[in-house]
Amino acid sequence: MDDIKDKSIHHTTVKICEDLKKSTPYLNLYEDIQKLVVTPCVRADDFKNTLLRAMQENGLSSELRNNIYRWTKMKKKEVGPYDSFFRKCQIHWDKRIHKSLNSMCNELGINLAKVRSTNEREEIVNKWTELSNFEVGKLCDKFIIYQYITLPVFQVEIHKYRPVYAPKDFLEVLLNLKGPNKDRSQGEGLPWEFSQLPLKIKNLAELRSFYVELSRGEQILCVNSSLSTPQTFTAFEAERIALGDKILARNYAPLAQEYLKKGCPRCLRAKMWTLLLGAEVKGQQIAYFESLKEHVLQYDLMTDKLIIKDINLTASNDDQYFVFEDVLYQVMLCFSRDGEILKQLPTQPAFMQVVVKGKQNQPESAMIFPPSGVIPFHGFTMYAAPFCYLFESPVDLYFVFRAFYIRYWHKLHRVCASSQGIVSLCLQFERLLQSYEPFLWNHFKKYHIPPLRVVIKWMMRGFSGHLPPEQLLNLWDLILAYDSLEIIPLLAVVIVIFRKDNLMKVSTLQNVEAVLADLSSIAVVPLLQMALMKEPH
Amino acid sequence: MRVTFCTDLDKSVVVANCEKRGWVQVGPEDEWNIYWAGTMTCRSLFSVDSGYRMNDNQLINHFPNHYEISRKDLLVKNIKRYRRDLEKEGNGLAERGDSKYLHLDFIPVTFVLPADYNMFVEEYRKAPQSTWIMKPCGRSQGSGIFLINKLSKLKRWSRESKTPFQQQLGKESYVISKYIDNPLLIGGKKFDLRLYVLVTSFRPLKVYQFRLGFCRFCTVKYDSSVAELDNMYVHLTNVSVQKHGGEYNSLHGGKLSVQNLRLHLESTRGKQVTEKLFDQISWLIIHSLKAIAPVIATDRHCFECYGYDIIIDNKLKPWLIEVNASPSLTSTTANDRILKHKLLDNIFNIVIPPSGMPDVRWNKIPSSQALGDFELLIDEELVNIHENSENANSSRSGYRWK
Repeated sequence: MDDIKDKSIHHTTVKICEDLKKSTPYLNLYEDIQKLVVTPCVRADDFKNTLLRAMQENGLSSELRNNIYRWTKMKKKEVGPYDSFFRKCQIHWDKRIHKSLNSMCNELGINLAKVRSTNEREEIVNKWTELSNFEVGKLCDKFIIYQYITLPVFQVEIHKYRPVYAPKDFLEVLLNLKGPNKDRSQGEGLPWEFSQLPLKIKNLAELRSFYVELSRGEQILCVNSSLSTPQTFTAFEAERIALGDKILARNYAPLAQEYLKKGCPRCLRAKMWTLLLGAEVKGQQIAYFESLKEHVLQYDLMTDKLIIKDINLTASNDDQYFVFEDVLYQVMLCFSRDGEILKQLPTQPAFMQVVVKGKQNQPESAMIFPPSGVIPFHGFTMYAAPFCYLFESPVDLYFVFRAFYIRYWHKLHRVCASSQGIVSLCLQFERLLQSYEPFLWNHFKKYHIPPLRVVIKWMMRGFSGHLPPEQLLNLWDLILAYDSLEIIPLLAVVIVIFRKDNLMKVSTLQNVEAVLADLSSIAVVPLLQMALMKEPH
Repeated sequence: MRVTFCTDLDKSVVVANCEKRGWVQVGPEDEWNIYWAGTMTCRSLFSVDSGYRMNDNQLINHFPNHYEISRKDLLVKNIKRYRRDLEKEGNGLAERGDSKYLHLDFIPVTFVLPADYNMFVEEYRKAPQSTWIMKPCGRSQGSGIFLINKLSKLKRWSRESKTPFQQQLGKESYVISKYIDNPLLIGGKKFDLRLYVLVTSFRPLKVYQFRLGFCRFCTVKYDSSVAELDNMYVHLTNVSVQKHGGEYNSLHGGKLSVQNLRLHLESTRGKQVTEKLFDQISWLIIHSLKAIAPVIATDRHCFECYGYDIIIDNKLKPWLIEVNASPSLTSTTANDRILKHKLLDNIFNIVIPPSGMPDVRWNKIPSSQALGDFELLIDEELVNIHENSENANSSRSGYRWK
């Protein structure tokens, strides 16, 4: 028995070593260790021991442990009986998206990818940090008439572009999923719910034990907790900051995860998230980001316009995020060029290969389109926007955002069987609402209003753009702390139930939407605590 | 009990707030209890000629000579006098280091033109490469403002506009201030802060600060190069100027809430420096008001809400730019409407005694529940009560600042 155990540990170790050697952080680590080896603290006569001690002392061993911790997070694979079914559905959906892109290109008479002209390239280089304002008109005379004419390269004809799809289109796709086992009975009208899908999801009791710290009603740091007065808040925050500083000094990612369970002070969040996600920026990352930017300068991708369009439609119009639009242009354009994303996504999306116009005759004329494999939809920008509150430098922001995307956000817009995928989350929302507010559920059913129609946009965006930034960051703290997206449907249900009285009074989709439109008064942590602490009926 | 109100401003936010309280609108000739007036109306009401005498149940939203703070030249004059007086007293607040005031250095170096022209030139020569901003004293909303980076430009301007300039001299002088050329930028954009401050009495001083201010953003990237000097959209952040820019967005109006600014600063710069910044802002509000307290014609019927315009530089030091005695109540966005509605509601909660009827004999100490989104900055009366009382260890402090 022990023998088998030993063997399996050995196997895992070999696997970890192989994978680590292939990963990007490995290069950094290896370099640092090499530097360490040449220092006097490592002696040739007792190489192993002195090296290990030196690694311990200067934090490299916790760096190594962090890498293994993150590896286990990434490898956490769920295998279910319906994977192939969902995979087929996703491929089908990807094909529809690609078809739609192609027809948009035909309609507009443009190419999916082409080489940029030198002029365009220069213009973008010069205005890289202010892509929202390509100004050509010059001012008239002295401070009398100030007329600005803006004609950005990217803004040209941007009005002709439409988002490829919006959350409600995706919901329709999800609602049309026929269960893998049985054929749907041909009911009247649109399918309404997810109950036909045989996915395993947590019930409230299981959620209570999963989010045990929340269920126990322990004190959690958040600005608007009714449990605390300004004085107790300040004292508690000081205590949290002191503890947080210690964890950051230890530089140990699993501690950071544990720490977030009780809420994070604003001033430590950026560092805590970076540590947890392993998104530290060093010379190598800066160079990598530069190479992504170079790709933007070199190639004109049709998705660039979709990205600009999406930022125009979302962040630029949002009073919480408009300030950051220029940062978002940089980050989102680079994101689309990042091939690492496609490589690291656990379930690879189907991707397109296109020939770059202007490069047809060269050997490397084919390109994965877009290199990240991610086609933005309406609201995609909102996955990145809240990070603008945490980072001033676009590079720092980029790597944390990317890590978040690879760990979580991609699951919110893909058809998959994962317990973290949007399908399971929708199902979870439905089950929770059904079992805890059957009257409300029946009320919706009676008036043929699928409540998911309203909450799908909250869930697909992880509430970004719907909750005020402070509350949103509290929610995302919890996603990281419990390494799970299940908090999202839970919060969605709690908000709907919280507004039950008003919802019972309305009977049209439009009015339901109106009741649930404004989430500016929602206090995330207290509301979740209330729901999880309440004794079951 | 019938409470009546009167207003000469056609602002829905005023009327809606009053009507919500069940107050009845009446004309200025009728018996009113609350008058929400424009500054001109207020001034003429208080003028000797009007012969109007207010009774104990009347309140009005301006002090008779509010221009002591809202006129740019007078504000500067009063602050300079305040510093000098403190210095004469040997007060530690007026301590200097390196010729600058250590604690009262919260307005950019400013001179009144043409009166202080020689002093300006002397200061200008110390740092000839710096930029200065010219503002007409009496005007508001950014009109008539321009930047100067060469002395010759000022001379030329004065020569070219000779006739209008001289005509204006009698009525309207200019202030010239050192331009804050290292402003804090967020998302690469320059902004200023608009904060609301309520004063219910100057002697003793009673001040409340509204938590829900906002940052007004330039919609065009900040560029301090000379070529951009004439582009007013880059430098001025008044909404009335911004509205004419091609980029103005009516969904957010270029406004970001102060809470969000704070979230961003605490997240990126840290807690201590952010707290220090906001403490310094409260500090400059208190001392700007203390500076004008001796010259304000104080009247128990009056209260006033000021719009403070503050610029933060990249070292996170706040600078007082100007104070508006009748801040705009027009709403540019939905959030703006909510904010201004709350502002008025909270002001009334503080100035109206618990009985619900305006009464100047009331001690003007509202309960902490009545404060809403206002926060007590200073109440000299409470400070005195505290200092006189034996058990001064009560948690409620009327004075957060020394």
